[in-house]
Amino acid sequence: MNIGVNVQLAPFDMAYGYDDLLAERTDVGAVVSFTGLVRDFNESPEVTGLTLEHYPGMTERTLEDIGEQAWQRWSLQGVRIIHRIGYMAPGDPIVRVSVASAHRRDAFEACDFIMDYLKTQAPFWKKEHAQQGDYWVKERDTDQYDALRW
Amino acid sequence: MQLTHLNVRGEANMVDVGDKQATRREAVATGRIVMQPQTLKLLVDGALPKGDVIATARIAGIQAAKRTHELIPLCHSLSLSKVALDFDIDEQNGCVHVEAMCRLSGQTGVEMEALTAVSVACLTLYDMCKAVDKSMRIDAVQLESKQGGKSGDYQRDGNGYETTSPIVTGAGAAGEVRIGERCVSPCVRVKFLAELRERLGENEATISLDEMESRDVGGLKAALARRSEVFSALSDRRTLCAVNQVMANDNAPVTDDDEVAFFPPVTGG
Repeated sequence: MNIGVNVQLAPFDMAYGYDDLLAERTDVGAVVSFTGLVRDFNESPEVTGLTLEHYPGMTERTLEDIGEQAWQRWSLQGVRIIHRIGYMAPGDPIVRVSVASAHRRDAFEACDFIMDYLKTQAPFWKKEHAQQGDYWVKERDTDQYDALRW
Repeated sequence: MQLTHLNVRGEANMVDVGDKQATRREAVATGRIVMQPQTLKLLVDGALPKGDVIATARIAGIQAAKRTHELIPLCHSLSLSKVALDFDIDEQNGCVHVEAMCRLSGQTGVEMEALTAVSVACLTLYDMCKAVDKSMRIDAVQLESKQGGKSGDYQRDGNGYETTSPIVTGAGAAGEVRIGERCVSPCVRVKFLAELRERLGENEATISLDEMESRDVGGLKAALARRSEVFSALSDRRTLCAVNQVMANDNAPVTDDDEVAFFPPVTGG
């Protein structure tokens, strides 16, 4: 299995994972990447930033497990998952998932699957900062329904 | 339960109160207006262009209570014996809390008067401050209590808007809950994460295995709940649990030196 997981405080590059997935190989036919960003509107209309808390140890294990599940279900050549923690400003990337496969459908579906599972299983919690104060972001039922598709 | 303001055909209907006993009626309503911290400061300092905001809003609220029957179609006109408005400036949450109390001796309740007084007082606050802040928000207008009348007394449970608005958290939150001393005998280490940690005011706890009737997550929850009422929140359907960093339910066994974490639904990605 070629699965890489990273949880870090520092910002990451928008192209994270791409070169790594393609390094020293030419059998990859498709790379699908998803980048999640901090929006300036969510539960409050003017979000000034957010702080992401996680459960060190369990976070990494959960992400690896989700990557392995994707590996079992689709024909993949590589998976990279990176997630930031700590303070982020609007526009900052929070998460990036990149999946390599020989044919595009596997990569598209596996990437979608990994994000759905990450959003409903990985122990991350967002606290949004807005003019009116700080508050913890509520979970969304739609995320649960999305994860049930697989 | 029937709506007394509708007749059998479902048409609007003013209730005949002529035969009702006159009793002492009282109602308390609250609401709030949320504003920018700078606006609130100007209000406190009396530096807003339209002058004394609170005094004006108080008069507006009293006047409104007296004229409720002109605004709400099926309300009776009442001769109120008392209307009082209270304003509480809340700098921490950037808002002004408004409370209105209306009282009379009569045949019909005064909750509409109290709600109208709060609403108009909030609208007046908006009007007085809108030159400097258009983003103000009026919310959580609600009946707190009423006494007297056929339908009996009413008291709102808990604090109405605190439960519906987003959970506003302080910096780490000062803990009020007392946790027992570290145990020397076999024990379970418990962690509380994210919003749950701030709600409980606790990061972690240590529970001796001897305190647990059953050596599983359910037994741990029961042991914590015996220590303090606040830990009953752990039995919420929303609260999740992991034993040694693996998701677990109430039947999951726990043993000496296990790490058990409780946390709210995840919101990453």
